[in-house]
Amino acid sequence: MTKTITIDPSEVRAQATLQGPEIPINAYAPSPIEEAKKYGTANLVRIYRDMLYIREFETMLDRIKKEGTYEGFEYNHKGPAHLSIGQEASAVGECYYLTPEDFIFGSHRSHGEIIAKGLSAIHQLNDNALTAIMESYMDGAALRVVSKHSKNSSSLDVKDLAIQYLLYGTLAEIFGREYGFNKGMGGSMHAFFPPFGIMPNNAIVGGSADIAVGSALYKRVNRKPGIVIANIGDASLGCGPVWEAMMFAAMDQYHTLWPSELGGAPPILFNFMNNFYGMGGQPKGETMGFDVLARIGLGVNPQAMHAERVDGYNPLAIADAIARKKDILLKGEGPVLLDTITYRFSGHSPSDASSYRDKSEVDLWREQDSLISYGDYLVQNGHANATDLEALQGSIVEQLVYVLKAAASLDISPRVSITSDAIGDMMFSNQPADRMAEGTPEVLIPIEESRLKTTHEKFRFGLDEQGQPRPKLRCVTFAEAIFEAMIHRFYEDPTMVAYGEENRDWGGAFGAYRGLTECLPYNRLFNSPISEAAIVGTAVGYALSGGRVVPELMYCDFMGRAGDEIFNQMAKWQSMSANVLKMPMVLRVSVGSKYGAQHSQDWSSVVAHIPGLQVMFPATPYDAKGMLNLALRGTDPVVFFESQRLYTEPETLVPGGVPVDYYEVELGEPVVRREGSDLTIISVGATLYRALDAAKELEQNYNLSVEVVDARFINPLNYEKIVASVKKTGKVVLTSDACERGSFLHTMASNISQLAFDYLDGPVAVVGARNWITPPAELEDAFFPQKEWIIDTIHERVLPLPNHQSSTIQTSDAILRRNRLGI
Amino acid sequence: MATAVVMPQLGNSVETSIISSWKKKKGDKIAAGEVLCDVETDKATIDVESPFSGVLLELFFKEGDEVPVMTNIAAIGEPGENAEDLRPTSAAPSEAAVEAVADVEPEAASSQQRATMGQLPVHHSGDGKIGISPRARHLALDKGLDVLGLMGTGPNGRIIERDIRAALSTMPKMTPLAKSMVTSGDFVVAPGVHPARITSRDLVVSASSPQAAASGVEAPPLSGEGEILQVIPLKGVRKLIATRMMNSLQTTAQLTMNASADARALLDYRKRLKGSSEALGLQGITINDLVLYAVSRTLLRFPDLNSLFVGESITQYRRVHLGFAVDTPRGLIVPVIRNASSLSLQALAQESKRLSIACQNGTVSPDDLNGATFSVTNLGSLGIETFTPVLNPPQVAILGVGNVNLKPVEESGEIVFIPHIGLSLTINHQVVDGAPGARFLQAFTRNLAELDLLLAL
Repeated sequence: MTKTITIDPSEVRAQATLQGPEIPINAYAPSPIEEAKKYGTANLVRIYRDMLYIREFETMLDRIKKEGTYEGFEYNHKGPAHLSIGQEASAVGECYYLTPEDFIFGSHRSHGEIIAKGLSAIHQLNDNALTAIMESYMDGAALRVVSKHSKNSSSLDVKDLAIQYLLYGTLAEIFGREYGFNKGMGGSMHAFFPPFGIMPNNAIVGGSADIAVGSALYKRVNRKPGIVIANIGDASLGCGPVWEAMMFAAMDQYHTLWPSELGGAPPILFNFMNNFYGMGGQPKGETMGFDVLARIGLGVNPQAMHAERVDGYNPLAIADAIARKKDILLKGEGPVLLDTITYRFSGHSPSDASSYRDKSEVDLWREQDSLISYGDYLVQNGHANATDLEALQGSIVEQLVYVLKAAASLDISPRVSITSDAIGDMMFSNQPADRMAEGTPEVLIPIEESRLKTTHEKFRFGLDEQGQPRPKLRCVTFAEAIFEAMIHRFYEDPTMVAYGEENRDWGGAFGAYRGLTECLPYNRLFNSPISEAAIVGTAVGYALSGGRVVPELMYCDFMGRAGDEIFNQMAKWQSMSANVLKMPMVLRVSVGSKYGAQHSQDWSSVVAHIPGLQVMFPATPYDAKGMLNLALRGTDPVVFFESQRLYTEPETLVPGGVPVDYYEVELGEPVVRREGSDLTIISVGATLYRALDAAKELEQNYNLSVEVVDARFINPLNYEKIVASVKKTGKVVLTSDACERGSFLHTMASNISQLAFDYLDGPVAVVGARNWITPPAELEDAFFPQKEWIIDTIHERVLPLPNHQSSTIQTSDAILRRNRLGI
Repeated sequence: MATAVVMPQLGNSVETSIISSWKKKKGDKIAAGEVLCDVETDKATIDVESPFSGVLLELFFKEGDEVPVMTNIAAIGEPGENAEDLRPTSAAPSEAAVEAVADVEPEAASSQQRATMGQLPVHHSGDGKIGISPRARHLALDKGLDVLGLMGTGPNGRIIERDIRAALSTMPKMTPLAKSMVTSGDFVVAPGVHPARITSRDLVVSASSPQAAASGVEAPPLSGEGEILQVIPLKGVRKLIATRMMNSLQTTAQLTMNASADARALLDYRKRLKGSSEALGLQGITINDLVLYAVSRTLLRFPDLNSLFVGESITQYRRVHLGFAVDTPRGLIVPVIRNASSLSLQALAQESKRLSIACQNGTVSPDDLNGATFSVTNLGSLGIETFTPVLNPPQVAILGVGNVNLKPVEESGEIVFIPHIGLSLTINHQVVDGAPGARFLQAFTRNLAELDLLLAL
């Protein structure tokens, strides 16, 4: 939505016929003479060599998995191995023209792409650069192994050593070893090595699509060289997030609204490695209807994504296509779609008995095996003789035996310590940074002229000297506190971008970004398609590429649409990379109410369960600004919950109100909102105010001194203050707007029971929302915890209150009955 | 007139029970005491006997239905009578409905709440164990306070911090040495010690202390071989009685007053019962049953004695739940006849018999052992004339019954010897003064003397 684009009815209502560009299918015309001229013998043979490295590497894995032995060496590999034997030409051809700055993101079946891209990078990087990479990456751990345990290690030149390094780093990763590229935390399906432009490989089908788009967005916004390729399978076209990624990549605004000097659309190439199988299902003829995958481009934009079907069994056809598409992408005219046809002889995995395909079909493809046909091509055209090629294979097998022995040995290649917290230490990077890159942030006006002028002049505290509420419109609100944190970081960190639905102009559905549109160019603040998966997934790609990003989900309930991106991608890439990557990403999530069952649920407990996420839930404007400041300077993924009940509220609890200057709330520290000695109420989120009301009533009517603690963090969470409070009072009730069953409150309750058991004077009671759908706004008081629920719970389960008459049912029997009924 | 049979409350923790099978069908004749149906709780299956004889007019629930306790399940009366007005308003009110009403309509909820609050407080959880919070236990240990016998005011009678603090507030202060000995966990204040200030001399080795086992500190002075018949470790019922009795005497102000009642009506009526037709099933009614009956009716007019004293309040009860002492091989046990004030003499006698047997056999349910609002203890059969019964706190009174003796009484200018039964009433003077206690005793002696009239109640 922007005022500069007008939808003219006479235009959109006019009769016409839609035309699309033609989609080339296998258009490459081989010409040995031209190819000899273009590539030269050495490079043509190198292409063969690289294919052979992949073939032998995967053959080795196949034997190890199926027979437990390779070339007489025995090893038992417990983990997965999804092999791409048969697809080598596609990988090597793709990487021929890619430079180390070009990124490839892959799938669970990407060993071939790792080796192809690595060998391509090694070929292009000079010795100094290679040495620097190998020596600095994880302090040279893998280099030390290959320098000692490779074939002829003492006499290898840098490039040959780098090849051993690549093979070892990959295999040690597959075997789950500490000197693997990701300390074994990625393994076969995830191994990657950013210095060579090999970016995370994703075991979720299509998972790389939106992440790669985000990485391309990072390159475009931050003017970084290179293109980004998502190597995903043909079957991933059945996945919604892949379509969302294409929509996100093809937005008109890159051309219509973004600064033209930026260079257009993000340079993203969706390379569908079309091996005709999605595990056992066949997209062509069985599980989908596109017939020719490249057709999809027609549905995405007027350029049909420059789609082509390319023969992935001819490495030169692929190389040619990539070279042409890379030009298009660097000109900002992407996205591009390639339908790279290929075929795997190996099964989906070693457990695959190939019951879904006929052996005769495999044989048909084996007859056209690219290694044989391309080898013949080299011999026939005088680039190599058969003996050379055989000798090459023998040499590669010998190298691999050394690599295998080194990677399999627990002495040479240990696993990460499980007796220490080594894996735990990888969960977060904990390296706050004012900016993710040096440079001047792109802004449209000086910060002094921004809406800060207005917010700074407002009352910073919502109560006057007599403690009476001031008019809300004249006070800094929760939403404005969010704004102040956002604008601060926008003017500090040149890499920072923010996007989501209605983020620009509208300022987000709840106006938190009001005033940012005037300050920031489109490339730093823009509206996304209604594609929650892509909103989060692209942000993951943006962040792991090195930029700070703030995606927004308009309603907490929409998290389901971005489930994989939050649970498997955002949460896990820091640790799956063994901290090679950082995730400076804050996912702002607005928690609704009054909008019924699909717009009003508090899902903070859902993310609390996922390792690798920091989860924050401020309940006052002071915390909104201080916690968002904290999150925005961090390098860890944060899910930042904001209750829609609070956006228009001023600060009424922290004396002095919301500071004008920059400040941060300490990570993981709960805050005591009200001191007391008889009873503790702990709240998460907006129930704080109902807890305070309950405390007041308990004091007035029952002479109880009630302490109220606002947890405000879900993870990490320092329990010390909470335990201290419970030790003091002995009685504790927890409350939040999340549905009671499976609520994070129960985790807190359990921890409190462990940590303060001897001090408890009653069970730790949890007051969550009912385990219902959120009913209509008029009935919400029967769904969300109310002051009365808290008091009645205390009366029924913790401390009978003299002459108190419960108005709600909070008895232990109700717990039994409700659970029995599942409600 | 048609009469309802209700789903009995089979234990304090039971809210609903399931009718597993009807033993009679609509239209069948049923005699009092015949099994009407089997009901199933979460713990057991129990026979429900018909309290009346008559024709089964209506069964309000199907087999398998879950029925809240105290809900009418059947109606018994004369053939042809209409029982519809006894049908529960909702034969099976769904819990969701009950709850929804309660959540949105405070009025309805509070009336329901009042209904549940009218029930007796219980100081035991369902399994008979004393519930105590870790904090309360910790504090009690720290202060050397024995929690056995303490009355909990937390949910379900759980002993919570405030109960310990309340008990401590009545305890004398300790010297620093005594305190450090107590906090070591090895010592407790010796039972029966009430100095103004507890010193180390007032402490004894705690039963739970390893020292107690090792040192034999409390061995009797005469320990020569042959002197000791046997050493009986204090445990089970005996230990409970030991603690309760001591606690009773330590924490209440007991005053006992004696009287005797003209026992002629009592003895006459007993004689008539014994000689009655076997078919009536009244022959087994004992003197003690008659006394219990008279107590249950008399107490209705003396709510200040039919009450519990807990914490800072005295709770008076509308109905009488009558505890009565039973001597068993394991020691004294006091089962409770629930709603004694609304039971017929015969039903009351049946209940007392059932409970006595259960106590003797050791099969009595823990639920039958708590919740009394008043107790009766009878030593008359052992020839005791009067004695000083010990209160069962938080009850505020207990009636001791002695034997029947001839007493010279002046009647129409002549001395006649009239059989009298000895009565000893102990009251907690903290909350019941002497005069109200005496008035009850006076009313009771009169009622006993005119037992035949009382039977109309």
